[in-house]
Amino acid sequence: MNKTIPYYLKGMFFLFFLGHAAASLAMDGNQLLRQVDAHMQPASYEMYRKLINIEPDGAKKEFVLYTVKKGEDKMVALFLSPASEKGRATLRLGDNMWLYIPNVGKPIRITSLQSVVGGVFNNSDILRLDYSVEYNVIKVEDQGSTYLLELKAKSNAVAYDGLMMTVDKKTILPTSIQCYAVSGMLIKTLHYSKNKDFGNGLVRPSMLETDSPLYKGYRSVMLFAEVKEKEFADEVFTLNYLHKIDELR
Amino acid sequence: MKLQTPVHSILLLIFLLSLSAPCRSEDEFSFDIQEVRKKNFEWGGYGELKWVHMDANQDSAFKVFIPEGDRRASLDRLSGTLQLDGNYSYAKANFHWLMQAAGQQDNIGWTDTADIFEAYGSIKPSPHGIAALGKKSYKWGKGYAWNPVGFINRLKDPDDPDEAREGYITAEVDLIKSFNGSLQNIALTTVLLPVWDDINDDFGRVNNLNLAAKLYFLILDTDIDLLLLTGNSRADGFGLDFAKNLATNFEIHGELAWQPNRKKYRLHEAGTLTAIEEDTLSTLIGIRYLSENDITSIIEYYHNGGGYSEEEMSEFYRIVHAAGTMHEQTADQSLLEQAREMSLKGYGSPHPGRNYLYARFTQKEPFDILYLTPALTTLVNLDDNSYSLTPEILYTGFTNWEVRLRFYYLGGGSFTEYGEKINSNKLELRLRYFF
Repeated sequence: MNKTIPYYLKGMFFLFFLGHAAASLAMDGNQLLRQVDAHMQPASYEMYRKLINIEPDGAKKEFVLYTVKKGEDKMVALFLSPASEKGRATLRLGDNMWLYIPNVGKPIRITSLQSVVGGVFNNSDILRLDYSVEYNVIKVEDQGSTYLLELKAKSNAVAYDGLMMTVDKKTILPTSIQCYAVSGMLIKTLHYSKNKDFGNGLVRPSMLETDSPLYKGYRSVMLFAEVKEKEFADEVFTLNYLHKIDELR
Repeated sequence: MKLQTPVHSILLLIFLLSLSAPCRSEDEFSFDIQEVRKKNFEWGGYGELKWVHMDANQDSAFKVFIPEGDRRASLDRLSGTLQLDGNYSYAKANFHWLMQAAGQQDNIGWTDTADIFEAYGSIKPSPHGIAALGKKSYKWGKGYAWNPVGFINRLKDPDDPDEAREGYITAEVDLIKSFNGSLQNIALTTVLLPVWDDINDDFGRVNNLNLAAKLYFLILDTDIDLLLLTGNSRADGFGLDFAKNLATNFEIHGELAWQPNRKKYRLHEAGTLTAIEEDTLSTLIGIRYLSENDITSIIEYYHNGGGYSEEEMSEFYRIVHAAGTMHEQTADQSLLEQAREMSLKGYGSPHPGRNYLYARFTQKEPFDILYLTPALTTLVNLDDNSYSLTPEILYTGFTNWEVRLRFYYLGGGSFTEYGEKINSNKLELRLRYFF
């Protein structure tokens, strides 16, 4: 009796193991991404951020935002300064985004790719959900002291189709992220730095610097001053509540 | 007051901007959170300086309504506006106010106004409910240039739709509920709007209590509002609006308003102006699209169900022209009075026609010039093909300063809406400082 395994069965086994290994890798990668998110912020929180746009000649323009987030996809950012932007609020519920301008007096539905403040940051950067909510990990590369995660957007409603995220092995925190369009064009690069203890065991970067080949010489910096775990009612994340966000502080 | 010339205005602008030149310091970043800590009492606002040059339309029908001594081939106007807003909050209660004072000097004389746009108290016993009482401005509807479902809105100026508007004295309750699932939110806003002598008496017939309501749903990632106005001050109104993002760069919105027995003044064949009641259906459909090269396009089509047809408007302009000729030749004012009455009772209102197109294109920061936004806006009366075309440049690069330069060009033939406007063009330079 010939005990040789037919070649087509060998091929099937090989493909099965290859597929299984790839699935395990992706699963590990997604698990790693969830850990990155957990290290970056609590599930529900309030946060104070300063956004600084820097022009090639060194001129700066600063914006301060108060942000609240609940769960996977509910988020509001309120501009506290400068005076020309004070009271502006952007609400995100999943893929839906609205902008409230006090003078206009009503929320206007906006698209995620638009920029509320000008410069390198767009609405999605300001109202960024957890990475694991919007992306799947399709490849993990061990680079010694870091992992390189290749992320693919879960839907076409996400602002950037692909991300290349470098994660520090020791802290499981991102150090840099390259953001790509569907066409494969590099839109911007984010650089996280200056890890800081925000209390309650949260140690994360307090500075995010962004540059973009589309804005040569321009940079944007985001400084995080306070990230605090806090629970909010779901109704806070509604159009009717948008003009009252300041009262949460 | 001596009127400033354009050169003086521009020099003043350059001087003011030089005072606010942005900080160019070393590349160091700091964030002191104490600077933005919440205070019980907060206030802000803006001061505005605006210079306008207008060239008169010598063929305009409406020039007959201007006293002969005040007619000018061109007009220069310098105006100043101060807007103040503020909040006082204590525990779950809040008091909000918004005031505006403005003065203007032109070739004819000086005028000024001072208004309280909003002053209301609100209480928020829980995130599920908010109650408010006082003077409050409403901006219902999803349209950018027009809001046919805005039954209790003040009329919007499509040239400046984002500006603050005066409110009405109302009592309001907002109830909000969120869910998990395809229906994410429901919110019911109920407004009582009394119309008595000296209270909201410009809203409609006095001695009536009106009820307005808006039921909002966020369902399947779509905003939907059902709107209602009932009471005897105005015709009842029933409305529906919606907005939805079809892609990360594409939004669609629309409005539909039904007003049975809406009062309208129409010129009778016998030449008399009579009030009629008719059922009107108004619609608006619009999009907001962001292209790959960062051009945002807002395009809206508006059907004004209560508007006048091209023939009716043409007849009105013919009467106004005839009234002017009669007045000049015979000093007889009878036809002029009739034309004036027609103008005040509807024919002279903003956008009195039936079908309009609004399009606005803004380019974000062209040539990598941060905070610079050029825009082109057009409004077209689709019935008589007259139009306005408005290029503008907005610059917000100096913290808390905003500079806007606009040029309005009005085009159209005789007996058309924009062809008969009192001005043929307008140049406007606006400087705002926010504090």
